[in-house]
Amino acid sequence: MAAAKPTVSSFFLTLASSSNDPSSSSPTTVTALPRSRFLSAGSSPKFSIAHSKPSFVTSSSPPRHKLPVRCQQQQNPPSIPPEQRWMFEESEINGPDIWNKTWYPKAADHISTEKTWYIVDATDKILGRMASTIAMHVRGKNLATYTPSVDMGAYVIVINAEKVAVSGKKRTQKLYRRHSGRPGGLKVETFDQLQQRIPERIVEHAVRGMLPKGRLGRALFTHLKVYEGPEHPHEAQKPVPLPIRDKRMQVQK
Amino acid sequence: MTRVKRGYTARRRRKKIRLFASTFIGAHSRLTRTTTQQRMRALVSSHRDRSRKKRDFRRLWITRINAVTRKERVFYSYSKLIHNLYKRQLLLNRKILAQIALSNKNCFDMIFNKIINQK
Repeated sequence: MAAAKPTVSSFFLTLASSSNDPSSSSPTTVTALPRSRFLSAGSSPKFSIAHSKPSFVTSSSPPRHKLPVRCQQQQNPPSIPPEQRWMFEESEINGPDIWNKTWYPKAADHISTEKTWYIVDATDKILGRMASTIAMHVRGKNLATYTPSVDMGAYVIVINAEKVAVSGKKRTQKLYRRHSGRPGGLKVETFDQLQQRIPERIVEHAVRGMLPKGRLGRALFTHLKVYEGPEHPHEAQKPVPLPIRDKRMQVQK
Repeated sequence: MTRVKRGYTARRRRKKIRLFASTFIGAHSRLTRTTTQQRMRALVSSHRDRSRKKRDFRRLWITRINAVTRKERVFYSYSKLIHNLYKRQLLLNRKILAQIALSNKNCFDMIFNKIINQK
C-alpha cells in the first residue's frame, strides 16, 4: 500500500474543489467524471485505460495441454501523456492499476501469526451486545481490508465467561435447544442450567449465531477462544483489550 | 428420401462444447452429456452474475468505507459520510473512496476531514 504522497491527494483535492467552483481553470482540472485519469480537458480520450482483463480464447483452440494463463502475462502499462506525468507517482505509472481493480488480499495480507489478538472480560457484560462486537472483530468487518471470502479478522479471547449477564428474565427463561438426531431427541435447558454445566458454550453459541454459516464461518469460529475464569493460555500472543463502542454493554446496577 | 448418415456433425458440435468445459473438474469435462449440462450452467451463471458483479462490488466498497469511517470517528457512519459527501457536491464514487482508504490512508483522512469540517 502506497505511503502518503502529496500528488495523489492534491489531484483529488483539485477535483473536489473544481467540482465546487466550476469557473476555476487550473491546468489539472478534468471536465468529465474521474473515471479515467487520462482525460485531458476538452480532448477525447485517446489513451487506453489499462486493461488487466485476460483476452479470451473462444473458437480457435490451442492444444489442450497448454492453455496460456494470460492474466499472468505482462499487462499494458497505462499510457500517460508526458505533460501529465508529473501528477502520478512511479508506482501508478509502472505498477499495477489500483483504480480499475478492487483490492483483493494476497496470502501475505492475512497470515495467521501476524493477526491481532483481542481480549474481552465478560464480567457483567450483556451477552448479545458483547457477542456482536466480538463477531465484528472476528470477521474483520471493522477493517478497511474486509473481504467476505477471506479470513481477515482478528483473534478474540473471552475470559470470565461464566459471569456474562443477560437482562430481564432471560436467566431463567432463555432456552437452549439441541437435537440428538433421533426422534424425540430434543433436549432443552435454560440459560441458568447451561451456565452451571458448560458456561463457555453460552458465549460460543451467541457468537456462532452471528458469524457467517459456511466453511469460512466455521474457520472464523475457531478464532474465538472462550475461557471460564480469568486465566487464559495465550499470554504469548500479547492480547490487546477489545475496543468496545457500545454504551449499553455493561449491566446497569 | 435418400439415406443420410449423420456423419461428423454431432462430433464437431460436441467437440466445441468439450473445449469450453475442458477445465472443469472430473466428469464435468469428460462425459459428453454432463459436459453439455455443465456448459449450460456455466453460461447461465456467467450471464446472471454479470449484473450481480456490479452489485457485489458496490456492496464490498460500501462495507469497506463503512468500516473505515466508523473507526475514524465515533458516532459517524457510512450513511452520514455519503450524505455529507453529496451535500458538499463531491464526485468521488464508492469505488474510488474504498481504494483510497486502502492504498493511501492519509489522503483518505484529508478527504474525510474536508467532508466533516465544512459540511
